[in-house]
Amino acid sequence: MQSESKIDPKIIEEVLKFSKNVIDAPKLVSAPDEISLEVTPHDTVFELDKTRLLHYRSLTEKQHKTPLLISYALINRYHILDIQPEKSWVRNLLQQGFDIYMLDWGTPTSMDKYLDFDDYVNGYLDSAVEYIKNESSNEKISLQGYCTGATISTAYTALHPESVKNYIATAPVIDGWRDTTVISNLAKHMDVDKMVETIGNMPPEFMYYCFSVLKPFEQGIEKYVKFFKNIDNKKFVDNFLRVEKWLGDTPPIPGELFKQWIKDIYQDNLLIQNKMHIGGEHIDLKKIDMPTFTQIAVGDHLVSPECSMPLHYAIGSEDKTLRMYPTGHVGMIASSLSQKKVLPELGKWLAERS
Amino acid sequence: MDSSKTTMDYYKHLSLFWTDLIHLMSSKPQALTSTGPMRAFAANSKKVTTELIEINEDLMGFNQYLTEYYKQLANAWEVAQKKVNLKAPVVPQDVEQIEAFKRIWIDIFDNDFTELFDSKEFGENYGKLVSKELELTKHWNNIANVVLQSVNLPSKEEIDEVYKELHSLKKRVGKIELELKKREAKKNAK
Repeated sequence: MQSESKIDPKIIEEVLKFSKNVIDAPKLVSAPDEISLEVTPHDTVFELDKTRLLHYRSLTEKQHKTPLLISYALINRYHILDIQPEKSWVRNLLQQGFDIYMLDWGTPTSMDKYLDFDDYVNGYLDSAVEYIKNESSNEKISLQGYCTGATISTAYTALHPESVKNYIATAPVIDGWRDTTVISNLAKHMDVDKMVETIGNMPPEFMYYCFSVLKPFEQGIEKYVKFFKNIDNKKFVDNFLRVEKWLGDTPPIPGELFKQWIKDIYQDNLLIQNKMHIGGEHIDLKKIDMPTFTQIAVGDHLVSPECSMPLHYAIGSEDKTLRMYPTGHVGMIASSLSQKKVLPELGKWLAERS
Repeated sequence: MDSSKTTMDYYKHLSLFWTDLIHLMSSKPQALTSTGPMRAFAANSKKVTTELIEINEDLMGFNQYLTEYYKQLANAWEVAQKKVNLKAPVVPQDVEQIEAFKRIWIDIFDNDFTELFDSKEFGENYGKLVSKELELTKHWNNIANVVLQSVNLPSKEEIDEVYKELHSLKKRVGKIELELKKREAKKNAK
């Protein structure tokens, strides 16, 4: 009896409140399926196979002359760059007067298992760049790559420097041997030949497993506890569900592309050693000689700073800038820090060169 | 391990012997069923039997790596829990203490498990585990191919051939189209 009386009544109160929140949750918030991740108005202006080129509608009267094309990553979808108005990377750049295009890689099917780096770099990305050049009457455009999208855009920029006026690499996957993340450890021990031969495209479920081993207790338990604790906080809940929906929607990665990515980047580390070939063409990072801005997140647990940073030192540009931010992989592109610090710095740098 | 391998080999041999023999003995009267799904019944049964026997062999390997996988997780859990006990030996009594305890628990567990997932031992075992899982998938695919071919449908390899050919053609056409567009743009610019 005595031990029962020692329980702090606040604990019982907290437990009851938490249980009530869990029960009330379906009444208070939308199901992730009911949430649309399309935020800033845009038009699909060009399509090739399953890829789409999105053109965002301008938010300013005057715009900088050089358009910016964003090459999003191969994992998850482009929506994180426009996840909600107050944290939208795209909207912020539109408000700064930039003309923004986004390349949506689409959803590959079994039929696309033979798509490789060459298709993505010299096919889809090059076609999108050519389209924008023609539409905007520019001989060169600005290009930004994020995460694995930056691996593709780095290769593109090295192969087609004549089309890129400014290059922005945001958390690029470049030096696989220096990468200290769990992802790189799994990638280094993967029998990727057997994997692609047996199952074709890399299934989303495999990606979800890889994500689940990153901070498993914070991300797997505490995150959801916080969600239910804050169920009355509309802003928090809305942001949480949007990011969760984005996290739970990753397309398969074409088998051949995945194979080349794991082997050339993580296992043999060819890109940073200037030994990588795409479609028979040699990738020489020294050919990246235009103004280049590299953005790195110090707390990135998906692409470690050691993996991204070597790009800054390997390229041939004389006008190059390296910025490091005290945030994580997603925090760098979709947070209040990105709105207050990362985007204003990028906008200033880009405006001076656009 | 050795005796189970010998037993496995014995049953494998026994099964193959009888399916081969039945196949040879029944090859002539097969004419009656030569166009139906049963037309290659003996040969198909042999393929399926072989795959099933090999699935058993791979399943043993898979279980070995799976056991190691959970052993690694269990060990990491045990070590992390000991660290938590050392850092927070007193049972939390109020909301603030519970919150502090939870933070210590999550930080230690996340650190220790990240260390495990980042280790060579984990990476190697996980790679082997996935590899064995793929072997199992391969056998399953092979069995499915036998069924597909018995009903006159293309096998996975045949479909892959078509995809490969299609990909190569699309690539060639795409490059020609892009080249033409670039030339046209240059011409217009002049």
